Amino acid sequence: MKPHPFATYHPAVAFAYLACAIVLSMATLQPVFVVLSFAGAVGCSIVCRGARATGRSFIWIVPLWLVVTIANPLFSASGSTELFRIGVRAVYAESLLYGACSGAMLAAVFLWFSSYSSCMNSANTMALFGNVLPVVSLMVSQVMRLVPQFVARGRGIAAAQDATSAAAPQTKRQQAAGRFRIVSVLMGWGMEDGIERSDAMRARGYDCGARRSTYKRYRFNRADASVLGIIVVLAVIAGAWAAAVCLKFSFYPTLSGWGAWWAYVPYAVLMAVPPILQFKEWLLWR
Amino acid sequence: MALVDVKGFSFAYRTDEGSARPVLENVSLTIEEGEFCVLVGPTGCGKTTLLRSLKPELTPVGECGGTIEVLGMPLLRDGVLVDPENGGMDRRTSASAVGFVMQDPAMQIVCDTVWHELAFGLENLGTPQDEMRRRVAEVAHFFGIEPWVRQATEDLSGGQMQTVNLAAVLALRPRLLLLDEPTAQLDPNALKRFLFLLARVNRELGVTVVMATHSPEDVADYATRRIDLGEVGDMGARDDLCRSLEPRWSRRAQALANESVLEACSASFRYHRDSEWVLRGLNMKVARGSVHAIVGGNGSGKSTLLKLLAGVQKPQRGSVRNTLSSKQAYLPQDPKALFVCDSVAEEIAEWRMRCGYSEADERVALERFGLADHARQHPYDLSGGQRQKLALAKLLLTDPELLFLDEPTKGLDPTSCADEARLVRALADEGRTVIMVTHDLDFALATADEVSMVFDGELACTEPVGRFFENNIVYRPNKASRLFGALL
Repeated sequence: MKPHPFATYHPAVAFAYLACAIVLSMATLQPVFVVLSFAGAVGCSIVCRGARATGRSFIWIVPLWLVVTIANPLFSASGSTELFRIGVRAVYAESLLYGACSGAMLAAVFLWFSSYSSCMNSANTMALFGNVLPVVSLMVSQVMRLVPQFVARGRGIAAAQDATSAAAPQTKRQQAAGRFRIVSVLMGWGMEDGIERSDAMRARGYDCGARRSTYKRYRFNRADASVLGIIVVLAVIAGAWAAAVCLKFSFYPTLSGWGAWWAYVPYAVLMAVPPILQFKEWLLWR
Repeated sequence: MALVDVKGFSFAYRTDEGSARPVLENVSLTIEEGEFCVLVGPTGCGKTTLLRSLKPELTPVGECGGTIEVLGMPLLRDGVLVDPENGGMDRRTSASAVGFVMQDPAMQIVCDTVWHELAFGLENLGTPQDEMRRRVAEVAHFFGIEPWVRQATEDLSGGQMQTVNLAAVLALRPRLLLLDEPTAQLDPNALKRFLFLLARVNRELGVTVVMATHSPEDVADYATRRIDLGEVGDMGARDDLCRSLEPRWSRRAQALANESVLEACSASFRYHRDSEWVLRGLNMKVARGSVHAIVGGNGSGKSTLLKLLAGVQKPQRGSVRNTLSSKQAYLPQDPKALFVCDSVAEEIAEWRMRCGYSEADERVALERFGLADHARQHPYDLSGGQRQKLALAKLLLTDPELLFLDEPTKGLDPTSCADEARLVRALADEGRTVIMVTHDLDFALATADEVSMVFDGELACTEPVGRFFENNIVYRPNKASRLFGALL
């Protein structure tokens, strides 16, 4: 896993931050907030996944944004500033801006989620919820173990099948059956494994009647608590003020209800948390 | 007091027809605390059955007689299993006090990361978190696992996996450790390392060890006691084998002079754009009708080379030219990758339509590979050696002229190894070309015509088998082995 700014903290910090960021980004469809959350999502993605991976996401983010932006005025002809007409349909600036905002919001949410998946792997997630659901935590761990094994095995079976050219499929139908065959080999093998693995599990006391406990890899200490506290407080204030602004704001017929500038400050600070944490780290190792 | 006390134990599996198939008859043994005891015997002699009978969760189902006591608790009294309510061992005690390690390293691993695997048993027993942390730390330190404790279990080598399995059991602090052929699937280096760790567990921690094996000489230095459950075959000397093979080698020298059917020209390969080169500018030639063995250490790239030669992977630089590419067959490391049917007979018939062989051919093949009596069995119910034979039989029915074998002796006992060696030699005598990757140098000596050693992504040397091993001082077959004994 790439080192990310949350790596030095308990997974609860990363989870709380990203959850807040995702929820707020989805809830605030207002040009300024959208710009802020998009900028925050890009910043977070750069510090969590690297500039290169983020750049690569733009390959599909930009077309997505363009499509949503262009589609909105075509479907909703509201607004007051007419830009031009296609046939009988008028295209309004407000409607175009609404499209641009929803496109950017969608893009931001996508970026937040990619940061989430790079910061929270199964071990982290389980460290958070494992205590509540020990059985689920074990199941996830097992699935995470079995999936790569199945994939590797499937590849091995396909390789053996392809490399045995003396038994190559003669007809189209046999060719199609070939891929299906991999699945049936995998199934048989997997079931056989299951018997032995359940023996191995029972041999180590699985289902022996005791209440399962969970190995805790992370401890929640004071530094985690303070960062988490700051994030939660920021998110509550930002959320409340954003709600106040968004309720008054409207796109149609003209853009109105921008509110005071300071109402945007907590939100902007919240969005800047990952780069700030990264900067702190940078200062330390300068 | 004896830790394990078995008196007049006998066991028989019930067959589908309703009759009983006896495995063990009237076995008696006592094992004292602190002993390192090896159970020796060939495949099918009941080693596994006996070991599993000592662990209540794994007790095999069948007809049994006699008495078994483990840790002073009765498991079996006069042929009747004893429940925990009547003084037998409860599952918690069994899980922590009696550890069990099986043969296949990958199959026993339950969790996705090493640390979780180490903690798995402790979690099951509901160990408090601080105690769990300490025990995991302790075993990780003892086994030197610390550097890779955060790694995914999927990425470990076989030897590392088996070490994790041992450590995970040790974290439960057992008094008795049962191991069922734990080194059968490991390469020679990993095998030595594992047995060394096991000996430390026995001597430094005082854990009683009972280990089943078909090669007792590997643990001769560590074991305090040996119990024979059957004949394992005699040792044979390397020199004797070489002498008996000399006529064959001089005969086979002609085959090596044949035109080459497979050629790699400065082939380079890596798995990802950012990863290290696995093979760098490798050159290789394989003569028609020869048996070519590729040997080398773990991670030297020998398996990758085989994939390249078989056309499964393409080199990023250089080329691989294969004149028999349409008449080849590939035997994967685990023959299970070839099995898709419910019985041996169906399995053999799978490619009948495609390759145009007849039912009579199938019968001949089953006969030749000694599987005629097992035609109705499920492929998974065969022994490791029989599975390997079934896979080979299946591939040979497609009449390939070029055969790729990936670690063909993995997990096989010496008798099956010897059978395999004879089969491969016979294939070459029929004019088929065989390329195999192996870390079993004994097998390479007995089977190959020519040996190539892979090192650092290149072929360090390629020589006819006799000369190859003569010139090596360190990297050479054992002085004596049961495989040689079985072949002589």
